[in-house]
Amino acid sequence: MTTTDLQKPSAPAAPARWRAAPGIRLVWLHWRSRRVPAAILALAVCGGVLRAALEWGWLFRTGHFAQEFPMIIEGGAAAVLVITAHSPFGEPERTASRWLPYLRLGTVLAMTGVAIGVLQLAVTGASLDGGILVMARNVIGVTGIGLLSSLVTGGLLAWVLPMAYIAFAEYALLESWTNPWTWPVRPPADRGAWLCACAVFAAGVVAFTIRGARTRLADDS
Amino acid sequence: MTAVALSRSRPAPVLRIEIRRSVVLWAVPLLLALFYFDSFRTAAGFPPVWTVRSSVITSQMISDFGPFAAGLAAWAASREGRRKTVDLVATTVRPAWARQASALGATLFWLVLAFLAGVAAIYIDTALNATWGGPPLWPVAAGVVEVGTFAVIGFTAGALFPGRFTAPLAAIGTFLLAEIGFHAALQMNPEGSTYALLSTATAVPLGDNGVFYHVAPDVAIAQVMFMGGITVALLGLLTLAPACRVSYRGLLSGVDRVGRGLCVAGIALLASGVAASSTAYALAGTAKLTVSGWDIPALHDAASDQPVSYTPDCAGTSFRVCMHPAFSGFLSDANTALQPVAAEIAGLPGAPVRAEEVPSGEGVGHGLVLPGLPRAGLSGTPPVYTYISDDGLAPLWGSPAAVDNAGWRAGFQQAFLTALVTGPPHAGPGPDAAVLSPTAAQQAVITALMTAVGSTAPGFGEDMTNTGQPAAGATPAQIAAAAQRFASLSPAARHAWLAANLPALRAGTVTLAQLP
Repeated sequence: MTTTDLQKPSAPAAPARWRAAPGIRLVWLHWRSRRVPAAILALAVCGGVLRAALEWGWLFRTGHFAQEFPMIIEGGAAAVLVITAHSPFGEPERTASRWLPYLRLGTVLAMTGVAIGVLQLAVTGASLDGGILVMARNVIGVTGIGLLSSLVTGGLLAWVLPMAYIAFAEYALLESWTNPWTWPVRPPADRGAWLCACAVFAAGVVAFTIRGARTRLADDS
Repeated sequence: MTAVALSRSRPAPVLRIEIRRSVVLWAVPLLLALFYFDSFRTAAGFPPVWTVRSSVITSQMISDFGPFAAGLAAWAASREGRRKTVDLVATTVRPAWARQASALGATLFWLVLAFLAGVAAIYIDTALNATWGGPPLWPVAAGVVEVGTFAVIGFTAGALFPGRFTAPLAAIGTFLLAEIGFHAALQMNPEGSTYALLSTATAVPLGDNGVFYHVAPDVAIAQVMFMGGITVALLGLLTLAPACRVSYRGLLSGVDRVGRGLCVAGIALLASGVAASSTAYALAGTAKLTVSGWDIPALHDAASDQPVSYTPDCAGTSFRVCMHPAFSGFLSDANTALQPVAAEIAGLPGAPVRAEEVPSGEGVGHGLVLPGLPRAGLSGTPPVYTYISDDGLAPLWGSPAAVDNAGWRAGFQQAFLTALVTGPPHAGPGPDAAVLSPTAAQQAVITALMTAVGSTAPGFGEDMTNTGQPAAGATPAQIAAAAQRFASLSPAARHAWLAANLPALRAGTVTLAQLP
């Protein structure tokens, strides 16, 4: 063994199936480090609860209160989604990986799509009040709030602000607020509500892509 | 004294450190903001009646605090796993349950403190506006216990399943539990629903809830027992958790590790918690709806069924308008509204000499006719017009300045005149019979009398039936023309015609064409 061998130990060989697609392996490792598979499972649980609520009559199907229960589930799905913003590696990962912003962007967009898809799949054939438009708008907007929050609180506590927004939206629903920034209480095709939700989502995605979630937890100080 | 002895004898410093470093401190501003926008503003919109405003404590405030209590407690419980210090702290002299107790205690300290601060804000505002009564304490007890229960549920989840998704899932889960309880409460029927009764969420109570009759604490006692039982059982589970994490063969060694005394205590806590919750569940199933709310026979004190004594506040001289002192803030408006129409009908056969507020009765809101309860309308000799707070005063609640007082005055006058002109409400045929609206002639007379005192013309519901026929037997234009004709008579002529024809008009035998 030479000195060179000691200084540069050969990396363990990747499994054969990864050799052809290092990009896919990178994405998979990134997802595993963010617990994306567990997040998808948690989203499936959210969808299952929503379906159970529709089947067993835990919610109002029409009227003023019809959005209350789905809103919590949609906010919960967004909260679960933003938890995947947390990285267990912290600063070393930021300094070593030039692909990180792209991985963050791809993960957030993919997870948002998965969340909407899972919830829509759960309510298929059950006529959810407001339909997929309201559901998608809520998931998108609340995810944006969570991503912005993750810049301050870190990914693990990024669920707090989305849950607070949902709790506030419940009040806005009962009080029949009409402001576009209370998009969960607006009709499905309301343009102002869509603009607000999409603007918050875009701001969250851009900021998160560039900066990433705070690596030091908010309660570590 | 050794370090070990010091550590064992002084748990307070650990608790103090936990309190100072608790994550709940970060969330307190958010919780208070949520409380202000949701709970406080909602309470301020209710009538200034202690029982009614305190209903917010167990409804809106639980929605605001409960999910965060569960989520943040789960976060605190999973700290050792999150920071990968499980092995490190396992070697310390302090047992796991003591560390967990400190973390849970600190979490509960801030949550309960913030919750009680919110309660104080609502009660101070109520004290500044209420004219009668005092703060009820059972809703506060039930609210504090429920927040504690949510926190312990979250803490147990965090301790048993430490993971990054535990905290948000605990928050969502408890949020949904509260929401399902609210849904059940809104759909409550007179037969009752055990889950709805055990959930502290309620529909908005009637405006005079707890004013004419005491609110029986039976359901609150059952709720505290049920949620307290869950809390105690979960604490027992937390105590037993280290022993449960070993395989069956290693169970004895697990018990040794936890300590036999602790295991016995854990089992006792678990058993007593389950027993308390089961008992409360069984008791709630026996609840019956009465005039003072939901009574549970095994917990009920019959003395609380007696009406609360009070001296009504009255205004006016020849015609007296009286109401319960809890609503005396509205007396002036009510008196101003009724005096002109009372003067217009004074001396007519069956004309009331007094208007008096009567209890709505909690059961009436659920479609029950409760025995012994005075009914809204005209009754007695000499006749007294009785009204209930929800029908008569409700539009004045919250922010009286923002209410369309002219519209409210007209509505209050219309109800008063309708009671005189139509007599007791007539219901249509069939099991789902609705109360029939006044006949065309009755509508015209009511409209004319209101026009005579300068109020806006009233509305009487649907003008047309489903088959396209005029609902009152005449078109709105025909009724308006007859009303105008009648209103154009001199007051003396109008009064004389009413004195002669009011019984026939009340019986519905006078047609529109017969009006002068």
